[in-house]
Amino acid sequence: MQDQSDSNRPGLSRDDARALADQILDMSGADSARVNIQSGRRRFIRSADNRITTAGGSADVSVTIRSVFGKRVASVTTNLLAEADLRAAVARSESLARLAPEDPEYLNELPGQSYADVGGYYETTGNVTPDSMADAAAQGIRAARESGNVASGYIDVRAGGSAVANSNGLFAHHAATGVASTLTVRAPDGSTSGWAGDEAADWNRIETERIASTADRKCQEWRGRTALDPGPYDVVMEPTAVGMLMLRMRGAFDARSADEGRSFFSRQGDGNRLGEKLFDSRVTLSSAPEAPDAETSPFAGDGVARSPETWVERGVLRSLSYSRFWADQKETAPRPSPANLLMSGGNDSVDDMIAATTRGVLITRFWYIRGLDPRRIAYTGLTRDGTFLIEDGKVSRPVNNFRFNQSLVDLLNGIDMMGEPVRVAAGENSSVGTPIVVPALKVRGFNLASVSDAI
Amino acid sequence: MTGMGNPTRRQFLKTSAAGLALGASGWGCTRESIVHVGDPFERELALLALDEATKAGATYADVRVSRHWFEAVRTREQQITGASFTESYGIGVRTLVGGSWGFSGTREVTNEAVIRAAREATTIAAANDRISPQETELAPVDSYPNAEWTTPHEIDPFDVPLEEKADLLFAASAEAMTVNGVQFVTGGIMAVKERRLVATTEGSVIQQTFLRINPSLRLTAVSADRSDFQTRELDVAPAGRGWEYVTGLNLRGLAGPLGEEAAMKLSATPVEPGTWDLVLHPSNLWLTIHESIAHPTELDRALGYEANYAGTSFLAPPADVLNKTRLGPDFMTFMGNRTEEGGCATCGWDDEGVPAFEWPIIDKGQFVNYQTTREQASWISDATGMTRSQGCAYGQNWASIPFQRMPNVSLMPGEEDLDEEAVIAQTDRGILIQGDGSYSIDQQRYNAQFGGQAFWEIKDGKRHRMLRDVAYVMRTPEFWRSLAVLGGPQTYWLGATFGDAKGQPGQANAVSHGCPMALFRDATIINTA
Repeated sequence: MQDQSDSNRPGLSRDDARALADQILDMSGADSARVNIQSGRRRFIRSADNRITTAGGSADVSVTIRSVFGKRVASVTTNLLAEADLRAAVARSESLARLAPEDPEYLNELPGQSYADVGGYYETTGNVTPDSMADAAAQGIRAARESGNVASGYIDVRAGGSAVANSNGLFAHHAATGVASTLTVRAPDGSTSGWAGDEAADWNRIETERIASTADRKCQEWRGRTALDPGPYDVVMEPTAVGMLMLRMRGAFDARSADEGRSFFSRQGDGNRLGEKLFDSRVTLSSAPEAPDAETSPFAGDGVARSPETWVERGVLRSLSYSRFWADQKETAPRPSPANLLMSGGNDSVDDMIAATTRGVLITRFWYIRGLDPRRIAYTGLTRDGTFLIEDGKVSRPVNNFRFNQSLVDLLNGIDMMGEPVRVAAGENSSVGTPIVVPALKVRGFNLASVSDAI
Repeated sequence: MTGMGNPTRRQFLKTSAAGLALGASGWGCTRESIVHVGDPFERELALLALDEATKAGATYADVRVSRHWFEAVRTREQQITGASFTESYGIGVRTLVGGSWGFSGTREVTNEAVIRAAREATTIAAANDRISPQETELAPVDSYPNAEWTTPHEIDPFDVPLEEKADLLFAASAEAMTVNGVQFVTGGIMAVKERRLVATTEGSVIQQTFLRINPSLRLTAVSADRSDFQTRELDVAPAGRGWEYVTGLNLRGLAGPLGEEAAMKLSATPVEPGTWDLVLHPSNLWLTIHESIAHPTELDRALGYEANYAGTSFLAPPADVLNKTRLGPDFMTFMGNRTEEGGCATCGWDDEGVPAFEWPIIDKGQFVNYQTTREQASWISDATGMTRSQGCAYGQNWASIPFQRMPNVSLMPGEEDLDEEAVIAQTDRGILIQGDGSYSIDQQRYNAQFGGQAFWEIKDGKRHRMLRDVAYVMRTPEFWRSLAVLGGPQTYWLGATFGDAKGQPGQANAVSHGCPMALFRDATIINTA
C-alpha cells in the first residue's frame, strides 16, 4: 500500500481519519455506531467558445454517523467538525434512530476485516496545479483555433480519501485520485462536432495532445453529414461508446432483484440464472479493486471487503452482488456491487473492424442513455460527435445522428470483433466516475431506431 | 486536521468586529446600511470575503454562505430502508477580474478560510483573464441591502417526526399490497431546507430560506409465473412547499388505485406502433416541457457554453431565431418565472441578487426570449428589448459556482376551461399517457423519446382500455406544432424534479413546470418491448 500518512495530500490522512472516527465513536451512546468519512479536494477548469469560462475548486470533509439501537437505525451526515457540532450530529443520529421503525433486515456491525492492499492515489494527480490544468485546457483551445473551430472542454481533478469505522473495531481507509479530461470541438456555424476524452487515476496518463488532435479531427471528418435511414445496422463502436453502455450493466447484477423476479437475471418460476450461458462466449465482465489506473476502494460503505469478482465468465453468469442481508438469507458471502467494470477484449483494432464491415455505422460515443425495459436490459440514447457510414470496408461518409433502442443482452450476443480494453471517459457529464475498462466492439444488428438532427 | 480548530462563534464575532469596524468597504456600500438580515456571523464573513476579493483586484464579487439540510426517509413494504439527515455548511466566493470568472469554496467557515477563498477565487479569475482576456458586462441590478424571503409554508418538514413520515409510507404501501399481484412497494419522503445568504459587491445582502419536499411511491407487480414484471410510480411531484403538501395528497387513498393499475399493466394490450393522437396528462407533459422547451431556451446552451456536456440548442443563433421562430399555435404560451407558488425554482432573488419575476419565453406560439443571468442579458438585449437579467443565476450549494439555471417554465392553460374528459373527447383514436417514464433527448433538443406510467387507448372520444410498452418519439418543432387542444385551468398541474442536471462540475437544480392536459395530433408511437 502506498504511504497514506502524507499530511500534504488533500483530504484526511489515514491517521487523521482514524482520530476523527475514534473521537466520534467515543461520543456515541448507541448500541452500536458506524462512521463514514469522505474528504478531499476538487479542482476544475472549463472552457467554451475558445476561452476559459470557469475555473475553481472546493475542499470538503463530510462525516456520516450511523447510530443503532436494537434494530432501529438512522444516520446523520455533516461537514461541521468542531467538537460541539459533532456532538450535536451524534445526538441527532441517536434521536432519529430511537424514533425510526425497526429495520428487520439490520445486521450487527461487522468486526474488523482484512482488506487488500490497493493503491489508487497518484501524487501526479494530487499535486497537479491550476496552471497545469490551464495549460492543458489551452492546448485544446489552441488546436481548435488553429483549424478555425471552437473548443469546449472540461478537466476535473479529484484527490482525497474515504474511511469507515465502527464500534465493533472495524477501520479502513483508502486514498484515491481521479482525472477526467474531455474536449468537444465544433465548427463556428455548428455544422459539425467532434469529441475526445480520457479518464484516469494518474494525471500522467491523460493524453492532452491526443485529445486535442482527435476531437479536432473528428470535427473535420464529420463535416457535411449526409442522410442515412434508421434501422438495424452492424456497428463499430469506439471504446467510449462501449463503456457508456456497459456502465449500465453494473446495476443489473443485483441478486435480490433477480431472486425476487424483477430482473433479466430472474429465472422463470424461481431463483436466478447463475450458471446459465447468457452472452457470447468471448464476454467476460469482472471487477477488481486493484485494476491498474482503474483502482477502487477495497471496501464498501458498510465495511464489506471488495474482492476481485467475475460477474460473467465466457458468457456464463457467474456471480451477482449480495447485500449482507441478502447474502445471509441465501447463505452466501456478501459481495458489494461493482465499483469498477472490466470487460474482456480481443486483438482487433477499430481499423480492422471497419475493414471487415460491408455496410455499417461507426459510432464515436453516446448521449442521454436511459432505461427502456429492465426485462431485456434495454436502453435508449443517441449517437453524438462523429457518426459515419462504413461501406465495403471503408468509412464512406459522415451521417446524421441516431436514437438507439437496444437490449444490452442482444448486444452482448451479437459481437463480431473485439479490441484491446482501455479505460474510457464514460460519464455523460465528463466528471471522474466509475472506472470502466472496455474494448472497441463490432456488433451485429444494433437498433438505430430513429434519426436525430442534432449536431 | 482541517477545521478542528475553528474559533467559536463568540470568538469570531469579537475578532471580526474589531477587524472589520472600518466603516465604508472598498466596494461602494457602507456597513451601516446592512444591519438587519441574516445571521451576523455569516453576514460579516460574507462582507469580509467581498472586501478581500475587491482588495485582491476583483471588479465584482458575490458570496454565498449556505447551510443545507437534507432528510430522506425510505421504506420498502412495511420496513424502513433508510433514515438519514445530511447537513452541509460552507461559503463560496465568485469573483470577476477583467472579464473572467474565478471561484473558490470552503467548508471552513472562519475568517482566515474566507480570506483565503476570496484571494484564491480572485487569483484564478486573474489567471484565466491572462490566458483569454474577456469583456464581461453585467446587467444593471438594484441593490437590496436588507432582503429576506422564505418559501411559503405552514409546517416545516424538518419539524415533523421521522416516524410520522414512515407511518404515512407504510400505510400507503399496505394499501397498495392489498391488490393481487403487487409484490413490492418502495416509498420515500425527501425534504430539503436551505438557508442561503447572498452578498454582492453591488450592495445586496439577501437572506433566503428554501423548503422543498418530494414524496414518492413505486409499486412493482409480478406475474404469477414470474415471466413478467411491471412498475407504476405515483404521479406526485416534488414541490417548494411545506409538510402540509404531503398530508394533503392522501397517499393512502392514491395507493389502492395505483396498485390496480400496476397489476393491470401485466395483462394490458401491447401497443400497436404507428401514428396515434396523443393526450398527455400534465404528470407526463411537464417532463416533455422540461426537455424540449425549457432546456433549449437556456441562453448559455444556445451560445455553446454547454457544448461539452448538456449540449447546444436548436434555437440558435439568437439573432436568427428570436421573434422569428414559430414553435406552436397561437394558443401556446410558455412563461418563465421564479414566482409560481409551490415551484421548486421559486425564490425571492437569484444568486446575483436579481429579484424574481415572470416573463414570456414563447408568446402565442412565437419564440420571444431565452433565460438569462446578469452577464448574459446584454448579449440579446437588442432582440428582446430587456436590458436586465431575468434572474436565472443559481449554484446548487456553497461549493458550486453560480451559472445560468432554468426557472420554472410553464405552459399556460387554454382559455376555454376544458376538463380531462373534454380533452379526451376530441380524438376518435388516441392514447392517453399518465406519469413520467423513460425519457431521453438529443443534445440540441430535436429528437426525444418519452414513456410514461400508465397508457390508455382512447376510442371514439372515450378511455377504452389499458395499453402497455408505449413511448412517443418526437421531433421538437413538429411536435409542438401538432398541439391541437389545451385543457383549461382546472387541469393545470405543477410537475417538478430535484435533479435537473447541467454544468461541469455537474450541478443539480430543482425546477417545476406547470401545464394543463394537452392533445397532440398524429404522434409517432413505438412499442418498447
